[in-house]
Amino acid sequence: MMMRCFRAFLLVAWAFAALPFLLANSGSAQGTSKNIPRKELLILENPEGTVKNAGWFNIWAINAGSQSNGLQQVALDTLWYIDPERGLDGVWDNSLAADKPQYNADFTEMTVKLRKGIFWSDGVEFTADDVVSTVTTQIKHPGMRFSAVLASNVASVEAPDAYTVVFKLKKPNSRFHANFTVRWGAVWILPKHVFDKVEDPAKFDFNKPVSLGAYVLNSYDPDGKWYIWQLRDDWQRTTLGRYGKPGPKYLAYIDPGPPDKRVIAQLNHELDVIHDIAPEGMFALAKQSKVTRAWFKGFPYGHPDPTLPAVIFNTQNELFKNPDVRWALALLIDIKAVSMAAYRGAATISAIGVPPTGAHPATYHQPMEEWLKGFEIDTGKRKIKPYDPTIGRQIAEMLRPSMGEQIPSDPAEIARAFGMGWWKVDPQAAQELLEKAGFTKRGGAWTTPDGKPFTVRVMVEGDLRPVMTRAGTMIVQLWKQAGIDARIDVAQGMLPTRRAAGDFDTFIGWSVETWGGHPDLSYFLDSWHSQFVAEPGKSQPLRNWQRWSNPALDKIIESIRMVGFDDPKSIELGKDYIKLAVKEMPTIPLMAYNVFTAMDQTYWTGFPTSENPYTNPVPNWGNSRYMLVKLKPAG
Amino acid sequence: MSGYVAYVGRRLAQFVLVVFIGINLAYVITHATPIDPVEQSISAVTYYGNTAPDAIEQMRTSLRELYGLGGSPVEQYLAFWKRILRADFGPSLSAFPTPVSTLIGRALTWTAGLLAVSTIVAWGLGSLLGGLAGYYQNSRGLKLMGVIAMGLHPIPYYILALVLLIVFGFLWPVLPISGGSAMNLPQTLTFDFVTSVLQHAILPALSLILIGVGSWFLGMRALVSNVVTEDYVVYAELAGVRPWRVLSMYVMRNALPPQLTGLAISLGGIFNGAVITEKVFGYPGVGSLLVDAVYAGDYGLVLGVTTVSILGVSVGVLVIDLLYPLLDPRVKVH
Repeated sequence: MMMRCFRAFLLVAWAFAALPFLLANSGSAQGTSKNIPRKELLILENPEGTVKNAGWFNIWAINAGSQSNGLQQVALDTLWYIDPERGLDGVWDNSLAADKPQYNADFTEMTVKLRKGIFWSDGVEFTADDVVSTVTTQIKHPGMRFSAVLASNVASVEAPDAYTVVFKLKKPNSRFHANFTVRWGAVWILPKHVFDKVEDPAKFDFNKPVSLGAYVLNSYDPDGKWYIWQLRDDWQRTTLGRYGKPGPKYLAYIDPGPPDKRVIAQLNHELDVIHDIAPEGMFALAKQSKVTRAWFKGFPYGHPDPTLPAVIFNTQNELFKNPDVRWALALLIDIKAVSMAAYRGAATISAIGVPPTGAHPATYHQPMEEWLKGFEIDTGKRKIKPYDPTIGRQIAEMLRPSMGEQIPSDPAEIARAFGMGWWKVDPQAAQELLEKAGFTKRGGAWTTPDGKPFTVRVMVEGDLRPVMTRAGTMIVQLWKQAGIDARIDVAQGMLPTRRAAGDFDTFIGWSVETWGGHPDLSYFLDSWHSQFVAEPGKSQPLRNWQRWSNPALDKIIESIRMVGFDDPKSIELGKDYIKLAVKEMPTIPLMAYNVFTAMDQTYWTGFPTSENPYTNPVPNWGNSRYMLVKLKPAG
Repeated sequence: MSGYVAYVGRRLAQFVLVVFIGINLAYVITHATPIDPVEQSISAVTYYGNTAPDAIEQMRTSLRELYGLGGSPVEQYLAFWKRILRADFGPSLSAFPTPVSTLIGRALTWTAGLLAVSTIVAWGLGSLLGGLAGYYQNSRGLKLMGVIAMGLHPIPYYILALVLLIVFGFLWPVLPISGGSAMNLPQTLTFDFVTSVLQHAILPALSLILIGVGSWFLGMRALVSNVVTEDYVVYAELAGVRPWRVLSMYVMRNALPPQLTGLAISLGGIFNGAVITEKVFGYPGVGSLLVDAVYAGDYGLVLGVTTVSILGVSVGVLVIDLLYPLLDPRVKVH
């Protein structure tokens, strides 16, 4: 009897175990929508993951919902875009504006002419009143996203007619238009006819969003896992319309989960565009999938973002006030080892304080090569020339035995993929510089001028940003080998708070962000002016985390403020900044931040690549909307 | 009976004290964290933007006001307890102004569904098989089951989860690897939606059940192995009581109470969520919500989840403690 019962139980257990397979759809793991044909759907990763307040679309309220769920990419719009790559029709794109901004002589007034024939998705025409309302609504409500920046700049804003907006500024600002220019995001234009009816715009969910972009919201997951957008029937009446009809009728921005899941999802052809994965994930995809394409066809695959990860010193810390100390630490770093540790070699190195991406190699890196070769440091005992122009090539040669034909042989291609030169490893020069700064080496260990062990903490984000963490760990190892008491300092989620408070010796991150496609450096440089450097112990506004102030730098920044955005003088001033930053070394530049965006070509082709760099492929950038008009169904 | 009433009173007082201390500890720990939600918000807002540095200070001041982070620490503490007593956890700071209770409510539905079913199934299977294995010690099938349970029990959970993910999501891609349901399905009680929810729950549930069964199996087998040597069991067998009756009425019944205690604590623990399960399988639930809240410095949300969790576990243990004297004659209350 008992055994009969047991056998019956086993039968039930077997049936229970078989249930999953009876329920499962064969061949479909993720289970894309039944009512949307896959050939009409482009699936992209939203790197913000699962969105907690999924039903919020009011991007003008702080923390209200997701930005990268398609909202900023395909539903919103603003006056101008600057592409970090070449752009569809050049780097600069007049979007809602019909032309470039027009400033008066002293840069206290900006006039904008607007494009005609652009309509919101509910049929209301976009006019100057929307722009004025965007500014005045946010100034009136201090808790809104762009309130502070607009309030501190705008004295008044008027619409003399339906297609003209005049901003009167509180102080001269030749870069005010940057606020309405998409690099990654910007001040998006809000619909006046919707927000006028709202009591408190900071607490309004804007659900369902009225769109100014080519797509409207189709549906979304209340648990924040996915958002589906649908092409507007009147897509011609949007600013994207002039480039042609977008390929995908539907877009899904999803949370595919951690990196391993993203790889599996793409191998199963259920995630067309991965935002970013670790180098190893990219290598696995490149090996296992014939249809996955990254920015570079082969190694190093990733798209170099217009940002510059660096060793960022807290220059208010007594130990790091002296440029000789900062230079000594730079000369102890073997960038080849750091590149291997961080990116397995798939990095684009940079010796100077601008990223080697977009317009910068041609504007800054190549023209400054001769100056860098001749640059000298006085170690106190002799003069040395620390620049080695062959490091990029050395990295390529180092990788060639294992990566074979994937490593380019053309020097220009090598420079584009791996960078140009970097600083030599020179322990002797580093020792002389430290001794010049009053440091002493006792029994193989360095001590500070006041006789304490020379301890340097390198703050990293841990597994939240593994590539940077690996770079920091390698740098700690290299400094330790030289007798410095270097330690890794894992901050995890506390990095933003500690970074702002100056609670670090050094950290691996970036304080340099550029437009990429446009050579102007004001995007980050203006915030490096000493007027914004916080007192020690107080919170430092972005982005001068290194809290570096220098009269020569202030002079450069003030000069840039008084020249136009496209004025060639601003490039010359940019070079002056680079020379000063090389001499002072407030941050040790490492490499571009490579984003391993992987694109599956099973359903869609025409993605932006290094051979056809018409826009940034990274799908959370506002600029990524341009790829939609170039995508075509595959077969 | 009056002894039992006094016991209930004492136990309820203890419950209130434990909950009070637990919530206060959670409050102190969350407020001692160096993560500042205002700085996190500013960082998120301005990370890629071009907000001028002087504007950041204005934003910082506005946010402190908006998030209700003003006032002295004592005022903030009292305000917190006033809200808690009204079951109001306030707005989430990282998803402002959505109420914390809304976020928890939504996540809890998924977590409770997955964990309650998995816990009960694992407990039922593990206890039943463990009981049988403890009683029928010579059965080859049950011995094999014991070997499997011993093998599964020490496997780290995430390893098993990843193995399942790779096997059924990649090598033989028959099951969904992410989310709670398929894209573009309205969350209504339709056949498509329910089927999709079941499909998406299979892998996370299977991973929880496989590990859970092993654990409950071993516990129950050990308990039954002790009980079968008790005099009353030996006497019943010698007296010719049918084995099924001996097993169910004498052995299992007396071995079950410790397992029931474990079940109650496990069910109470549901309110913690299953962090690893939810992360590995991208399942929407309280565990993921809590981790994200910690990283964002969202005090309100962390406290909300922690409070619900403290209440869940405490209530589970309380219920068991109150039922024990009624169900188990060996437990005396004075």
